[in-house]
Amino acid sequence: MSRLDVDFEFKYGRGAGIVCRWRHEFDDGRVTVLLGASGSGKTTLLRCLAGLERPQRGHIRFAETTWFDAARRVELPPERRDVGVLVQDYALFPHLTVEQNIGFAAGAFAAPGTRARVAELLETFKLRGLEHRRPGQLSGGQQQRVAVARAVFRRPRLLLLDEPLSALDGPTREEVREELAALLRSLAIPAYVVTHDRLDALTFADRTVLVDSGRIIQEGLTQEVFNRPATPVAARLVGVDAVIIGRIAAIDEGIATVTAGGREVKVNVHGEVGSEVALCIRAEDVVVARHESHELSSMNRWHAIVRSETADGPFVRVVLDCGFRVAALVTRDAWRRLSLRPGDAAWAIVKAASITALPRT
Amino acid sequence: MLARTLAAVAAMAAAAVLIPAVQRPLTGPQSVRIAAAADLRFALEEARARLSARTPPLTVHATYGSSGNLHAQLRQRAPFDLFLSADVAYPEDLVRGGVANEGDLFTYALGRLVVWVPGDSGLPIERDGLRALGAAQRIAIANPAHAPYGRAAESALRGADLWDDLRARLVLGENVAQAAQFVDSGAADAGIIAKSLAVAGAMRDKGRAWEVPHDQYPALLQGGLILRWAQSRPAAIRFRDYLLGGDGRELLTRNGFGLPPR
Amino acid sequence: MDWQAIALTVKLAAVTTAALTVIGLPLAYWLATTRRRWRPIVDAAVAVPLLLPPTVLGFYLLMSTGPDSLVGRLYERLGGDSIPFSFEGVVLASILYNLPFAVRPFASAFAAIDRRLIEAARCLGASPLRTFTVVVLPLAWPGVLAGLVLSFAHTVGEFGVVLMVGGNIPGVTRTIAIAIYDDVQALDYAAANQASALLLLFAMVVLTVTYMLQRRVVQL
Repeated sequence: MSRLDVDFEFKYGRGAGIVCRWRHEFDDGRVTVLLGASGSGKTTLLRCLAGLERPQRGHIRFAETTWFDAARRVELPPERRDVGVLVQDYALFPHLTVEQNIGFAAGAFAAPGTRARVAELLETFKLRGLEHRRPGQLSGGQQQRVAVARAVFRRPRLLLLDEPLSALDGPTREEVREELAALLRSLAIPAYVVTHDRLDALTFADRTVLVDSGRIIQEGLTQEVFNRPATPVAARLVGVDAVIIGRIAAIDEGIATVTAGGREVKVNVHGEVGSEVALCIRAEDVVVARHESHELSSMNRWHAIVRSETADGPFVRVVLDCGFRVAALVTRDAWRRLSLRPGDAAWAIVKAASITALPRT
Repeated sequence: MLARTLAAVAAMAAAAVLIPAVQRPLTGPQSVRIAAAADLRFALEEARARLSARTPPLTVHATYGSSGNLHAQLRQRAPFDLFLSADVAYPEDLVRGGVANEGDLFTYALGRLVVWVPGDSGLPIERDGLRALGAAQRIAIANPAHAPYGRAAESALRGADLWDDLRARLVLGENVAQAAQFVDSGAADAGIIAKSLAVAGAMRDKGRAWEVPHDQYPALLQGGLILRWAQSRPAAIRFRDYLLGGDGRELLTRNGFGLPPR
Repeated sequence: MDWQAIALTVKLAAVTTAALTVIGLPLAYWLATTRRRWRPIVDAAVAVPLLLPPTVLGFYLLMSTGPDSLVGRLYERLGGDSIPFSFEGVVLASILYNLPFAVRPFASAFAAIDRRLIEAARCLGASPLRTFTVVVLPLAWPGVLAGLVLSFAHTVGEFGVVLMVGGNIPGVTRTIAIAIYDDVQALDYAAANQASALLLLFAMVVLTVTYMLQRRVVQL
């Protein structure tokens, strides 16, 4: 059981900065994802943890060690924090071989202990046979594995990974994401992973921290954060694909009728008639149909026009205009069978239970 | 790659150590380091040859420059044993400044000033003297600010009322030997230089010289000084005595110098 | 050929270059990586000999290290002789005067290295020194070598500072460039010619090698 106790403020030049405060306790192998849009300050936050940036105020403590304390003028340099860091694009040493990159942290490549540990990691990370290659001769996925192997060589007490998958292209990314998730579980080292991709969080995060404009806007167990985003911004971050603002028109048996964009939306909401709410609808929860069907349990059936279709991995992301816009994520096969085109009329169907309504303050 | 860079550095460091210590080969009982006025260049080369043939041989190491510049270096205690200036005022100043003793001061020659032109020059210096310079494009003299021959040349030109006319055409050498080199190389078409440079050595057969009458410039009384920090005082004394003796006086006269009043 | 002057010149250039390696590499690395506000001042101080006539540096050195100066008296008390007109004095002047020729190529080679590689090394537990020797130097070596070659060559060809600080003392401070100046004044054009041709050849070879190094990219 260790604890990361963080409370600091970092300012870029004169402009806005980052305010960060949390106290995380974790068993071995807990993965925390810092999820935020690009420019939200999440990478800087990670760099502060690694010791690559110096906050202006506050402290960072890990277990019994104070890494940073502005008031006491304590600043442990990166090399003494005992963390494994994976930076964006990996920063493998281009002049060293795979073997030398992995063993870099040992200090001496030739030491017997080093050789054994390198061999072990080559095995774990499926890099056997590549030990004498240079990073330039590796694929993106292989480079990523070398970088992680290099970061865990010393068995650090904490792993910090910055966008571990963003350097990879689509199909490789899916594959490597699975691998990385399995690996993070097996390494038994607590890890912080910075990403802008909620699929990363959904794949390997025990805990999710949402970062926006240099502030932590929500944190908690991943499931809680994804199911109950606290604010509209948080909702967008966790991938609610449509946030619709409406007004409660009536409440009947706990189900509210909200008017938005000239339509009625049935949803479970705590609020009073006349108050404004933000309705969050995930693309995953929207069903697309050619015809209206009355033989469904869903309470929300909206007539819509197809606006666009874009490929999204094995899915197609369809944007529908129902007076407000919602996105729907459907499999390619299902989309082919519907044979709909942008401009066609269709129906969007959503269960009341899968819409999150957030009171607007 | 790294190894190669380090090897290069190591090689250089090794070179620095292994190249024989060329720093202090010049000292020793029978060797004298002279800071000499540029007009002495040919005379001292001859003296060096003669003294190295004596028993025991005396080795002469000379550095030439303008008397003013050498004087400035000696005030910083430049490592020489003997100073031979073209103007006695400089060694006198060193004595006044407390870096040398009055008794080590001596005068050894009178400098003579000549107008020199290359052999094929059309300037009628033999007929018109300094006035012939009116037709010259570029006239080399030593820098009057710190070279005694430059001051002598300036004063001769002023006396002849030519200074203002010729001023824009003067090329100043750092010392009188450089002024001589300017005209020797053809960069200037006439020079007012030391007779000692014009009548001896490389320039003797290449041009014509006209000696400026002695009353047209203040006497160039050349003085010397044995320096207090001389590494070999006996060697410095030996050289001074040679220069002031019969052999030295003959050598100086033959090289275009006058002798100082006794 | 004035072999004594040539040997002295090579020795001066070698000592200067070795000293510039020791002083210049850390200084350049600091300049390339620091974010301190007064860095431009240090940058300017290093580069100032490029714009100053050598006489300015020579003048200040003479004034500040002469036998009556504070530095001069201290040096004498430590058992030294005198700084001006000595080999040590010329070395000192050469180091100062050549600082930009070493430090600038070093610093631009260091600055060209991806910062993230340096950060990665630090995060892997490497000390700043190990980061420098195992990551930075191997990646920057063409620039480092170019700096070393340039400062060696530039010392060989130096004139003004050496003449001012060193005078012209055979075997102590008379380098090949000063020997040429002296030969010309002695009207010994043949000797000046020989030495000059040698220097011209040397400069051509050095520059060719430098440009070849600059074109060379680290093979990844």
